[in-house]
Amino acid sequence: MAEREKFRILVGTRKGTYIVEGDTGRRRWKIGPVAHEGAEIYHVVADPRNPGTLFAAVNSDFWGPMLQRSRNWGKTWQEVSTPLTPVKKDRQPLFNDADPTTPVPRPLRNLWRIEPGHASEPDTVYLGADPHLLFRSTDLGQSWVPIPAINEHPARKGWSPGAGGACLHTILIDPREPKRIYLGLSAVGTFRSEDGGTSFRPTNKGVLAPFLPDKHPETGQCVHHVVQDARDPDTFYRQDHGGMYVTHDRMERWTRIGKPLGDDFGFGVASPRAAPGRAYFVRLDGMARVTGDGHFQVHEWNDAKRTWRKLVRPGAFPGHYGVQREGIATDDLDPAGIYVGTTTGQLFVSPDAGRNWQLVPFQFPGIHSVSLGNPPAG
Amino acid sequence: MLDVHLDSWLREFGPRGKERLEADSVEHLLDALEEKYPRLRFKIRDETGRLRRYVRVFVDGEDVSGTTGVETPLVGVQTIDILHSIAGG
Repeated sequence: MAEREKFRILVGTRKGTYIVEGDTGRRRWKIGPVAHEGAEIYHVVADPRNPGTLFAAVNSDFWGPMLQRSRNWGKTWQEVSTPLTPVKKDRQPLFNDADPTTPVPRPLRNLWRIEPGHASEPDTVYLGADPHLLFRSTDLGQSWVPIPAINEHPARKGWSPGAGGACLHTILIDPREPKRIYLGLSAVGTFRSEDGGTSFRPTNKGVLAPFLPDKHPETGQCVHHVVQDARDPDTFYRQDHGGMYVTHDRMERWTRIGKPLGDDFGFGVASPRAAPGRAYFVRLDGMARVTGDGHFQVHEWNDAKRTWRKLVRPGAFPGHYGVQREGIATDDLDPAGIYVGTTTGQLFVSPDAGRNWQLVPFQFPGIHSVSLGNPPAG
Repeated sequence: MLDVHLDSWLREFGPRGKERLEADSVEHLLDALEEKYPRLRFKIRDETGRLRRYVRVFVDGEDVSGTTGVETPLVGVQTIDILHSIAGG
Protein backbone atom coordinates (compact mmCIF):
# COMPACT_ATOMS: atom_id res chain seq x y z
CA MET A 1 0.00 0.00 0.00
CA ALA A 2 1.33 3.44 -0.93
CA GLU A 3 2.34 5.58 2.02
CA ARG A 4 -0.26 8.24 1.23
CA GLU A 5 -3.03 5.62 1.27
CA LYS A 6 -2.12 4.30 4.70
CA PHE A 7 -4.34 5.16 7.56
CA ARG A 8 -3.12 4.94 11.13
CA ILE A 9 -4.68 4.86 14.56
CA LEU A 10 -2.20 5.81 17.27
CA VAL A 11 -3.00 4.03 20.52
CA GLY A 12 -1.40 4.87 23.87
CA THR A 13 -1.89 2.11 26.41
CA ARG A 14 -0.91 1.08 29.92
CA LYS A 15 1.81 -1.08 28.40
CA GLY A 16 3.12 0.72 25.37
CA THR A 17 2.41 2.45 22.08
CA TYR A 18 0.54 0.64 19.31
CA ILE A 19 0.35 1.88 15.75
CA VAL A 20 -2.66 0.34 14.01
CA GLU A 21 -2.41 0.49 10.25
CA GLY A 22 -5.28 0.25 7.82
CA ASP A 23 -6.65 1.91 4.73
CA THR A 24 -9.22 4.60 4.25
CA GLY A 25 -11.98 1.98 4.13
CA ARG A 26 -11.36 1.72 7.87
CA ARG A 27 -12.49 -1.89 8.13
CA ARG A 28 -9.25 -3.91 8.03
CA TRP A 29 -6.42 -3.31 10.43
CA LYS A 30 -2.90 -4.49 11.06
CA ILE A 31 -1.32 -4.14 14.49
CA GLY A 32 2.19 -2.71 14.68
CA PRO A 33 4.70 -1.30 15.10
CA VAL A 34 4.59 -1.58 18.89
CA ALA A 35 6.96 0.44 21.07
CA HIS A 36 7.64 1.52 24.65
CA GLU A 37 6.64 -1.90 25.98
CA GLY A 38 5.72 -1.74 29.64
CA ALA A 39 5.45 2.05 29.87
CA GLU A 40 2.30 4.07 30.44
CA ILE A 41 1.60 6.05 27.28
CA TYR A 42 -0.78 8.88 28.10
CA HIS A 43 -0.77 10.45 24.65
CA VAL A 44 0.53 9.73 21.17
CA VAL A 45 0.13 12.35 18.47
CA ALA A 46 1.07 12.84 14.84
CA ASP A 47 2.52 16.18 13.81
CA PRO A 48 0.44 17.21 10.79
CA ARG A 49 3.12 19.72 9.74
CA ASN A 50 5.82 17.06 9.53
CA PRO A 51 4.44 13.84 7.98
CA GLY A 52 5.88 10.79 9.67
CA THR A 53 6.71 12.58 12.90
CA LEU A 54 5.01 11.23 16.01
CA PHE A 55 5.40 12.24 19.65
CA ALA A 56 4.65 10.00 22.63
CA ALA A 57 4.21 10.92 26.28
CA VAL A 58 6.02 7.98 27.88
CA ASN A 59 5.50 7.69 31.62
CA SER A 60 7.16 5.17 33.90
CA ASP A 61 7.47 4.69 37.63
CA PHE A 62 10.90 3.24 36.88
CA TRP A 63 12.35 5.96 34.65
CA GLY A 64 10.15 8.92 35.23
CA PRO A 65 8.52 10.71 32.30
CA MET A 66 10.13 10.80 28.86
CA LEU A 67 9.14 12.53 25.67
CA GLN A 68 9.88 10.30 22.71
CA ARG A 69 9.75 11.15 19.03
CA SER A 70 9.59 9.05 15.90
CA ARG A 71 10.41 10.28 12.40
CA ASN A 72 9.14 7.18 10.59
CA TRP A 73 5.56 6.60 11.72
CA GLY A 74 6.57 4.77 14.87
CA LYS A 75 9.03 2.24 13.43
CA THR A 76 11.79 3.64 15.64
CA TRP A 77 11.70 6.11 18.51
CA GLN A 78 14.24 8.36 20.19
CA GLU A 79 14.13 10.03 23.56
CA VAL A 80 14.15 13.79 23.03
CA SER A 81 14.59 16.41 25.69
CA THR A 82 12.09 16.12 28.52
CA PRO A 83 11.44 19.30 30.47
CA LEU A 84 12.01 19.16 34.21
CA THR A 85 10.89 21.14 37.18
CA PRO A 86 14.11 23.10 37.80
CA VAL A 87 14.47 22.68 41.53
CA LYS A 88 17.86 21.11 42.01
CA LYS A 89 21.27 22.67 42.54
CA ASP A 90 22.17 25.14 39.82
CA ARG A 91 18.63 25.51 38.53
CA GLN A 92 16.29 28.15 39.82
CA PRO A 93 13.22 26.90 41.65
CA LEU A 94 10.10 26.82 39.58
CA PHE A 95 7.94 28.08 42.41
CA ASN A 96 8.50 31.21 44.39
CA ASP A 97 10.74 30.20 47.30
CA ALA A 98 10.46 33.69 48.78
CA ASP A 99 6.86 32.93 49.59
CA PRO A 100 6.79 30.58 52.60
CA THR A 101 3.26 29.49 51.77
CA THR A 102 4.41 28.06 48.47
CA PRO A 103 4.04 24.28 48.42
CA VAL A 104 7.15 22.16 48.26
CA PRO A 105 7.93 21.71 44.57
CA ARG A 106 7.14 18.32 43.20
CA PRO A 107 9.13 16.69 40.43
CA LEU A 108 7.66 16.33 36.99
CA ARG A 109 5.39 13.34 37.39
CA ASN A 110 3.67 12.50 34.14
CA LEU A 111 3.45 13.93 30.64
CA TRP A 112 -0.18 14.30 29.59
CA ARG A 113 -0.57 16.19 26.35
CA ILE A 114 1.64 16.94 23.38
CA GLU A 115 0.21 19.57 21.06
CA PRO A 116 1.93 20.45 17.78
CA GLY A 117 1.84 24.22 17.34
CA HIS A 118 0.06 26.36 14.78
CA ALA A 119 0.61 25.62 11.09
CA SER A 120 2.53 28.90 10.77
CA GLU A 121 4.99 27.75 13.49
CA PRO A 122 6.23 24.44 12.11
CA ASP A 123 8.80 23.75 14.84
CA THR A 124 6.66 24.73 17.83
CA VAL A 125 5.29 22.08 20.18
CA TYR A 126 3.45 22.50 23.48
CA LEU A 127 3.61 20.01 26.32
CA GLY A 128 1.25 19.69 29.27
CA ALA A 129 2.40 17.84 32.36
CA ASP A 130 1.75 17.02 35.99
CA PRO A 131 1.98 19.03 38.28
CA HIS A 132 -0.05 21.56 36.23
CA LEU A 133 2.85 22.58 34.02
CA LEU A 134 3.03 23.98 30.50
CA PHE A 135 6.13 24.04 28.31
CA ARG A 136 6.84 25.25 24.80
CA SER A 137 9.49 24.03 22.41
CA THR A 138 10.46 25.88 19.24
CA ASP A 139 12.73 23.08 17.97
CA LEU A 140 10.36 20.11 17.81
CA GLY A 141 11.04 19.03 21.37
CA GLN A 142 14.83 19.30 21.54
CA SER A 143 14.56 21.96 24.25
CA TRP A 144 11.75 23.38 26.37
CA VAL A 145 10.86 26.70 27.89
CA PRO A 146 8.48 26.80 30.87
CA ILE A 147 5.48 29.11 30.56
CA PRO A 148 5.51 31.25 33.74
CA ALA A 149 1.94 32.48 33.32
CA ILE A 150 0.85 28.96 34.30
CA ASN A 151 3.90 27.43 35.98
CA GLU A 152 4.31 30.37 38.36
CA HIS A 153 0.67 31.42 38.47
CA PRO A 154 0.05 33.26 41.77
CA ALA A 155 -3.00 31.12 42.54
CA ARG A 156 -1.35 27.76 41.97
CA LYS A 157 -0.67 27.15 45.64
CA GLY A 158 -4.42 26.63 45.92
CA TRP A 159 -4.55 24.22 43.00
CA SER A 160 -5.14 20.60 43.96
CA PRO A 161 -4.69 17.46 41.90
CA GLY A 162 -7.61 15.39 40.66
CA ALA A 163 -7.71 11.61 40.92
CA GLY A 164 -5.45 11.31 37.88
CA GLY A 165 -3.00 13.85 39.25
CA ALA A 166 -2.39 17.53 38.65
CA CYS A 167 -2.68 17.12 34.91
CA LEU A 168 -2.46 19.85 32.35
CA HIS A 169 -4.18 17.75 29.74
CA THR A 170 -5.75 20.01 27.15
CA ILE A 171 -3.93 22.48 24.88
CA LEU A 172 -5.77 24.04 21.94
CA ILE A 173 -4.42 26.60 19.48
CA ASP A 174 -6.84 28.81 17.58
CA PRO A 175 -6.35 27.93 13.88
CA ARG A 176 -6.90 31.62 12.97
CA GLU A 177 -4.53 33.08 15.56
CA PRO A 178 -1.50 31.25 16.98
CA LYS A 179 -1.34 33.57 19.99
CA ARG A 180 -4.77 32.44 21.19
CA ILE A 181 -4.22 29.38 23.34
CA TYR A 182 -6.70 27.46 25.46
CA LEU A 183 -5.78 25.12 28.33
CA GLY A 184 -7.53 22.54 30.48
CA LEU A 185 -6.16 21.68 33.95
CA SER A 186 -7.63 18.98 36.15
CA ALA A 187 -9.34 20.33 39.27
CA VAL A 188 -8.49 23.89 38.18
CA GLY A 189 -10.47 24.47 34.98
CA THR A 190 -9.95 26.09 31.60
CA PHE A 191 -7.88 29.16 30.70
CA ARG A 192 -7.42 31.33 27.62
CA SER A 193 -4.45 33.35 26.48
CA GLU A 194 -4.68 36.05 23.81
CA ASP A 195 -0.97 36.86 23.86
CA GLY A 196 0.82 33.63 23.05
CA GLY A 197 0.96 32.42 26.64
CA THR A 198 2.27 35.57 28.30
CA SER A 199 -0.91 35.70 30.35
CA PHE A 200 -3.84 33.36 30.93
CA ARG A 201 -7.32 34.11 32.18
CA PRO A 202 -9.72 31.52 33.69
CA THR A 203 -12.76 30.70 31.54
CA ASN A 204 -15.11 28.60 33.61
CA LYS A 205 -18.28 30.69 33.85
CA GLY A 206 -21.33 28.47 33.88
CA VAL A 207 -19.48 25.27 34.79
CA LEU A 208 -20.59 23.52 37.94
CA ALA A 209 -18.12 22.42 40.63
CA PRO A 210 -20.34 19.99 42.56
CA PHE A 211 -17.50 18.94 44.86
CA LEU A 212 -16.77 22.46 46.21
CA PRO A 213 -18.69 24.59 48.72
CA ASP A 214 -18.90 27.36 46.10
CA LYS A 215 -20.57 25.59 43.18
CA HIS A 216 -19.57 28.22 40.60
CA PRO A 217 -16.05 29.43 41.47
CA GLU A 218 -13.75 31.24 39.06
CA THR A 219 -11.44 28.21 39.10
CA GLY A 220 -11.56 24.77 40.70
CA GLN A 221 -13.79 23.04 38.16
CA CYS A 222 -12.43 19.67 37.16
CA VAL A 223 -12.34 19.82 33.39
CA HIS A 224 -11.74 16.40 31.86
CA HIS A 225 -11.34 17.27 28.20
CA VAL A 226 -12.21 20.00 25.68
CA VAL A 227 -12.27 19.97 21.89
CA GLN A 228 -12.75 22.74 19.37
CA ASP A 229 -15.42 22.74 16.69
CA ALA A 230 -13.97 22.28 13.20
CA ARG A 231 -16.03 25.02 11.52
CA ASP A 232 -16.36 27.56 14.30
CA PRO A 233 -13.14 27.97 16.33
CA ASP A 234 -15.07 29.97 18.93
CA THR A 235 -17.15 26.89 19.76
CA PHE A 236 -15.90 24.23 22.16
CA TYR A 237 -17.33 21.05 23.64
CA ARG A 238 -16.35 20.21 27.18
CA GLN A 239 -16.58 17.08 29.28
CA ASP A 240 -16.24 18.16 32.87
CA HIS A 241 -16.57 16.36 36.16
CA GLY A 242 -19.64 18.55 36.53
CA GLY A 243 -21.26 17.57 33.23
CA MET A 244 -21.18 18.13 29.46
CA TYR A 245 -20.98 21.71 28.17
CA VAL A 246 -20.76 23.86 25.05
CA THR A 247 -19.55 27.42 24.53
CA HIS A 248 -19.84 29.61 21.42
CA ASP A 249 -17.85 32.62 22.59
CA ARG A 250 -14.28 31.45 23.17
CA MET A 251 -15.18 30.00 26.55
CA GLU A 252 -16.59 33.25 27.95
CA ARG A 253 -19.72 31.42 29.04
CA TRP A 254 -20.44 27.68 29.12
CA THR A 255 -23.89 26.09 28.78
CA ARG A 256 -24.61 22.69 30.21
CA ILE A 257 -26.01 20.37 27.55
CA GLY A 258 -25.78 16.98 29.23
CA LYS A 259 -28.72 17.16 31.59
CA PRO A 260 -31.14 15.37 29.23
CA LEU A 261 -28.85 12.34 29.48
CA GLY A 262 -29.26 12.13 33.26
CA ASP A 263 -25.81 11.36 34.59
CA ASP A 264 -23.61 13.37 32.19
CA PHE A 265 -20.31 12.37 33.69
CA GLY A 266 -17.49 11.18 31.45
CA PHE A 267 -13.93 11.89 30.41
CA GLY A 268 -13.55 12.07 26.65
CA VAL A 269 -15.10 14.13 23.88
CA ALA A 270 -14.38 14.50 20.17
CA SER A 271 -15.72 16.57 17.30
CA PRO A 272 -15.22 15.59 13.66
CA ARG A 273 -13.94 17.83 10.87
CA ALA A 274 -16.45 16.39 8.40
CA ALA A 275 -19.44 17.19 10.60
CA PRO A 276 -19.00 20.54 12.36
CA GLY A 277 -21.53 21.17 15.05
CA ARG A 278 -21.41 17.56 16.23
CA ALA A 279 -19.65 16.25 19.29
CA TYR A 280 -19.30 12.71 20.57
CA PHE A 281 -19.36 11.84 24.27
CA VAL A 282 -19.21 8.53 26.12
CA ARG A 283 -21.39 8.89 29.18
CA LEU A 284 -20.11 7.08 32.26
CA ASP A 285 -21.58 6.33 35.64
CA GLY A 286 -20.28 9.08 37.93
CA MET A 287 -19.35 6.67 40.69
CA ALA A 288 -18.30 3.52 38.87
CA ARG A 289 -16.60 5.40 35.99
CA VAL A 290 -17.81 2.83 33.45
CA THR A 291 -20.74 2.78 31.02
CA GLY A 292 -23.57 2.56 33.49
CA ASP A 293 -26.23 1.28 31.11
CA GLY A 294 -24.49 -2.08 30.78
CA HIS A 295 -23.38 -1.62 27.18
CA PHE A 296 -21.10 0.46 25.00
CA GLN A 297 -22.73 3.67 23.85
CA VAL A 298 -21.68 6.92 22.21
CA HIS A 299 -23.92 9.98 22.39
CA GLU A 300 -23.87 12.51 19.57
CA TRP A 301 -24.63 16.16 20.34
CA ASN A 302 -26.13 18.14 17.45
CA ASP A 303 -25.33 21.72 18.32
CA ALA A 304 -27.58 23.33 15.72
CA LYS A 305 -30.67 21.36 16.75
CA ARG A 306 -29.59 21.09 20.40
CA THR A 307 -30.47 17.41 20.44
CA TRP A 308 -28.87 14.17 21.50
CA ARG A 309 -28.74 10.90 19.59
CA LYS A 310 -27.48 7.44 20.53
CA LEU A 311 -25.05 6.10 17.95
CA VAL A 312 -24.77 2.47 19.03
CA ARG A 313 -27.63 -0.01 18.98
CA PRO A 314 -28.31 -0.66 22.68
CA GLY A 315 -27.00 -4.04 23.65
CA ALA A 316 -24.77 -4.45 20.61
CA PHE A 317 -21.71 -4.49 22.86
CA PRO A 318 -22.81 -5.45 26.37
CA GLY A 319 -20.42 -4.69 29.19
CA HIS A 320 -19.13 -2.02 31.53
CA TYR A 321 -16.53 0.01 29.63
CA GLY A 322 -14.29 2.77 30.93
CA VAL A 323 -13.10 5.51 28.55
CA GLN A 324 -10.45 8.04 29.49
CA ARG A 325 -9.98 11.68 28.52
CA GLU A 326 -7.98 10.92 25.37
CA GLY A 327 -10.02 7.83 24.64
CA ILE A 328 -12.26 9.26 21.89
CA ALA A 329 -11.02 10.51 18.53
CA THR A 330 -12.38 11.30 15.08
CA ASP A 331 -10.67 11.37 11.71
CA ASP A 332 -10.91 13.91 8.91
CA LEU A 333 -12.73 11.75 6.37
CA ASP A 334 -16.34 12.15 5.25
CA PRO A 335 -18.25 10.39 6.71
CA ALA A 336 -16.19 10.76 9.84
CA GLY A 337 -14.59 7.80 11.52
CA ILE A 338 -15.07 7.60 15.27
CA TYR A 339 -12.59 5.72 17.45
CA VAL A 340 -13.09 4.82 21.10
CA GLY A 341 -10.49 3.03 23.22
CA THR A 342 -11.46 1.52 26.55
CA THR A 343 -9.66 1.00 29.82
CA THR A 344 -10.04 -2.74 29.27
CA GLY A 345 -8.33 -2.65 25.89
CA GLN A 346 -11.13 -2.72 23.32
CA LEU A 347 -10.83 -0.36 20.35
CA PHE A 348 -14.22 0.45 18.82
CA VAL A 349 -14.32 1.92 15.31
CA SER A 350 -17.16 3.40 13.32
CA PRO A 351 -16.16 4.15 9.71
CA ASP A 352 -19.41 6.01 8.98
CA ALA A 353 -20.11 8.60 11.68
CA GLY A 354 -21.64 6.12 14.09
CA ARG A 355 -23.96 4.17 11.78
CA ASN A 356 -21.96 0.94 12.11
CA TRP A 357 -19.47 -0.15 14.74
CA GLN A 358 -16.81 -2.83 14.87
CA LEU A 359 -14.08 -3.85 17.24
CA VAL A 360 -10.50 -3.86 16.03
CA PRO A 361 -9.73 -7.59 16.39
CA PHE A 362 -6.97 -7.21 18.90
CA GLN A 363 -7.00 -7.13 22.70
CA PHE A 364 -4.91 -4.11 23.70
CA PRO A 365 -3.71 -3.34 27.19
CA GLY A 366 -5.89 -0.72 28.88
CA ILE A 367 -6.12 2.24 26.51
CA HIS A 368 -5.24 5.76 27.64
CA SER A 369 -5.32 7.59 24.33
CA VAL A 370 -6.48 7.27 20.74
CA SER A 371 -5.56 9.66 17.94
CA LEU A 372 -5.17 9.57 14.19
CA GLY A 373 -2.06 9.62 12.07
CA ASN A 374 -1.91 11.24 8.64
CA PRO A 375 -5.68 11.41 8.23
CA PRO A 376 -6.29 12.26 4.57
CA ALA A 377 -8.38 15.35 3.96
CA GLY A 378 -12.05 14.48 3.70
CA MET B 1 37.57 3.02 44.09
CA LEU B 2 34.05 1.62 44.10
CA ASP B 3 32.75 -1.12 41.85
CA VAL B 4 29.37 0.00 40.53
CA HIS B 5 26.93 -2.48 39.01
CA LEU B 6 23.74 -1.45 37.21
CA ASP B 7 20.87 -3.74 36.31
CA SER B 8 20.20 -4.57 32.68
CA TRP B 9 17.50 -1.90 32.35
CA LEU B 10 19.78 0.88 33.54
CA ARG B 11 22.61 -0.36 31.36
CA GLU B 12 20.49 0.80 28.43
CA PHE B 13 21.30 4.35 29.54
CA GLY B 14 24.71 3.85 31.19
CA PRO B 15 27.75 1.61 31.33
CA ARG B 16 27.36 -1.82 29.74
CA GLY B 17 29.48 -3.51 32.40
CA LYS B 18 31.04 -2.79 35.77
CA GLU B 19 32.03 0.84 36.36
CA ARG B 20 34.81 1.98 38.72
CA LEU B 21 34.26 5.36 40.38
CA GLU B 22 35.37 7.32 43.39
CA ALA B 23 32.85 9.06 45.64
CA ASP B 24 32.26 9.74 49.35
CA SER B 25 28.47 9.46 49.28
CA VAL B 26 25.71 7.90 47.20
CA GLU B 27 24.73 11.37 46.01
CA HIS B 28 28.24 12.12 44.77
CA LEU B 29 28.50 8.69 43.22
CA LEU B 30 25.31 9.31 41.25
CA ASP B 31 26.59 12.77 40.29
CA ALA B 32 29.75 11.18 38.89
CA LEU B 33 27.82 8.45 37.13
CA GLU B 34 25.45 10.93 35.50
CA GLU B 35 28.33 13.19 34.52
CA LYS B 36 29.93 10.30 32.66
CA TYR B 37 26.66 8.93 31.26
CA PRO B 38 24.28 11.86 30.74
CA ARG B 39 21.42 9.64 29.60
CA LEU B 40 21.24 8.32 33.16
CA ARG B 41 20.24 11.77 34.43
CA PHE B 42 16.78 11.69 35.98
CA LYS B 43 16.43 7.96 35.39
CA ILE B 44 17.74 7.00 38.85
CA ARG B 45 16.80 10.22 40.67
CA ASP B 46 14.12 12.75 39.91
CA GLU B 47 15.02 16.40 39.54
CA THR B 48 14.61 17.02 43.29
CA GLY B 49 17.46 14.58 43.87
CA ARG B 50 15.32 11.83 45.39
CA LEU B 51 15.70 8.23 44.25
CA ARG B 52 12.89 7.22 41.96
CA ARG B 53 10.20 5.07 43.46
CA TYR B 54 11.41 1.69 42.28
CA VAL B 55 15.17 2.25 42.37
CA ARG B 56 17.12 0.36 45.01
CA VAL B 57 20.70 1.23 45.93
CA PHE B 58 22.69 -1.48 47.73
CA VAL B 59 25.88 -0.48 49.56
CA ASP B 60 28.01 -3.57 50.08
CA GLY B 61 24.82 -5.58 49.84
CA GLU B 62 22.68 -3.44 52.16
CA ASP B 63 19.63 -1.66 50.70
CA VAL B 64 19.86 2.00 51.76
CA SER B 65 17.05 3.25 49.50
CA GLY B 66 14.46 3.50 52.27
CA THR B 67 16.86 4.62 55.02
CA THR B 68 19.79 6.96 54.48
CA GLY B 69 19.23 7.07 50.70
CA VAL B 70 21.42 9.38 48.68
CA GLU B 71 23.00 10.77 51.85
CA THR B 72 24.59 7.43 52.69
CA PRO B 73 28.36 7.87 53.23
CA LEU B 74 30.63 5.56 51.27
CA VAL B 75 33.62 5.21 53.58
CA GLY B 76 35.32 1.83 53.34
CA VAL B 77 32.74 0.64 50.85
CA GLN B 78 33.66 -1.62 47.94
CA THR B 79 30.53 -2.38 45.93
CA ILE B 80 27.43 -0.49 44.87
CA ASP B 81 24.50 -2.19 43.14
CA ILE B 82 21.80 -0.04 41.58
CA LEU B 83 18.76 -2.16 40.79
CA HIS B 84 15.03 -1.95 40.34
CA SER B 85 12.61 -3.53 42.75
CA ILE B 86 10.02 -6.03 41.64
CA ALA B 87 6.96 -3.95 40.92
CA GLY B 88 4.19 -3.35 38.47
CA GLY B 89 1.24 -5.24 37.10
